[in-house]
Amino acid sequence: MAEVDVGKPLPAITSEAKPFWEAAAQNKLVMQRCRDCQAYVWTPRPACYECGSERLEWQELSGKGQVYSFTVIRQVVGRAASMAFEKEIPYVIAWIDLDEGPRMISNVVGCPVEDVKLGMTVSVVFEQQSPEVWLPKFKPLVS
Amino acid sequence: MSLRNKAAIVGLGETPTDRLGSKPGEPRKSSAEYLAWAMRLALDDAGLSLKDLNGQGLGVTIPTAYPQPFWPEEVAEILGITPGFLLGGATGGAGAVSLIGGMAAAIHSGLIDIALCIGAAAPFSEHFGGGIQPGDMRDWEIPYGTMGPNSKIAMVMRRYMHEYGATLDHFGKIAVAGRYHASLNPLAYLRKPITIDDYKNSRLVADPVRLLDCVMPANGGRAYILASPERAKTLRKKPIYLKGFGERSNPSYGPRAGSNTLVMGVKDAGKVAMEMAGVKNSDINFLQLYDDYIIVVYLQIEDLEFCAKGDLGFFERTDFTYQGQLPIQTGGGMINVGQPSTAGGMLHIIEAARQLRGEAGERQVTNAKTGLVSGLGVLPYGKNLGCCAVAVLGNEV
Repeated sequence: MAEVDVGKPLPAITSEAKPFWEAAAQNKLVMQRCRDCQAYVWTPRPACYECGSERLEWQELSGKGQVYSFTVIRQVVGRAASMAFEKEIPYVIAWIDLDEGPRMISNVVGCPVEDVKLGMTVSVVFEQQSPEVWLPKFKPLVS
Repeated sequence: MSLRNKAAIVGLGETPTDRLGSKPGEPRKSSAEYLAWAMRLALDDAGLSLKDLNGQGLGVTIPTAYPQPFWPEEVAEILGITPGFLLGGATGGAGAVSLIGGMAAAIHSGLIDIALCIGAAAPFSEHFGGGIQPGDMRDWEIPYGTMGPNSKIAMVMRRYMHEYGATLDHFGKIAVAGRYHASLNPLAYLRKPITIDDYKNSRLVADPVRLLDCVMPANGGRAYILASPERAKTLRKKPIYLKGFGERSNPSYGPRAGSNTLVMGVKDAGKVAMEMAGVKNSDINFLQLYDDYIIVVYLQIEDLEFCAKGDLGFFERTDFTYQGQLPIQTGGGMINVGQPSTAGGMLHIIEAARQLRGEAGERQVTNAKTGLVSGLGVLPYGKNLGCCAVAVLGNEV
């Protein structure tokens, strides 16, 4: 897929998040779910933040969702790490509401920024950022 | 425990703001200098001296860019105070308002009978290194190219416009009222009045957030002094009483994994504070709302139940100026006076106390008896602001 880009800031692969990144490298979107109260839990953590249970399990999601909201980045500002994104401008930062309920921050890719709309249905694609990190991003779902 | 009338504001200290250090070769001041300056102003205002603060409360807002974990103690050292109760503002931008609750509780308990709450920052003249801290921002936001809080607030604002049909005219009205008040405030930094068109035509920073939606970072220091009601009566200025206080951090309206980003924690913090104060919305003479962005001022007016969520007509017909039905941001807010990091939020307490003392000059709200102040801090993953504190202040027991 996409070329490996080492210039961008990478997430730390924490012990809580390791299963997420291992699945992402297999192009699967997974998330923790509480076995006691069935709540989805995101971002990765040691215990359910709805009921306190530590009985969390990883489940594969449909990878489909809707754009809850978005912004278009047209200028990099702030910390040095931001500069690595200059060549991507303009690009979309979005809140994606997954069909299963949780909201993720990601990019909407695969269409001009002008085409992104609230409520638009999207599905996950994975872009490799490093040998271990495949970032889940979202592209318009063409029916 | 009710804090109604258990503590009073007796001293105010607000330095002018500046942006010195943004150009090479400019003279610079350090945070320490703004701290000392703000403290001196507050002590003079109250008629207290430095030694009156020993064994008393010291509350310090913790600036976002300063990597020193023991900052409150360092502030005590800088100022030459030996506090008997030292509290750091743990709620980011809400810290200035959170501290009034913590210190009033300490005063009510008898632990102390005076507290200096203070903050300063010099983001243009001091630069600290420091990488990206562990957490959601590092692992789940920055890898996507988010550009700080602007990106998230832009998504909140767009969602609001989508759900309720609000336009730039609705938001611009708040920006115009704030700048009008700044034009009447000698301590404001941005004082040239603006029009709705100026707002609409300002540069897009993070679509739909424009330059005139955003708070202005600045160097500066701010402080207020609290005292027990008994002590307050012996001091120089008319006491301004804490009537009610409420705080909510990490609020969620709906499931934590996907909450409603258009409702803010001031909804619950405000309810608690107003019940403690024993006041209704119609008793409130003005609002000083934390204003890192215009959209959050707007949302707070709804969440404090001055109107229903999405009632655009309320915003169209209400006059938000100091002479209007619901005066807001009567000194111009941080957007126009400037935000020295987390010390920024002190501005709203200071302006409320000035109004209630009758010291607000050209922008004085007539017969102001009760005002509401809010503080907001931290933008967590997938949510609106994560720390919300509300204080109700009044000038009568």
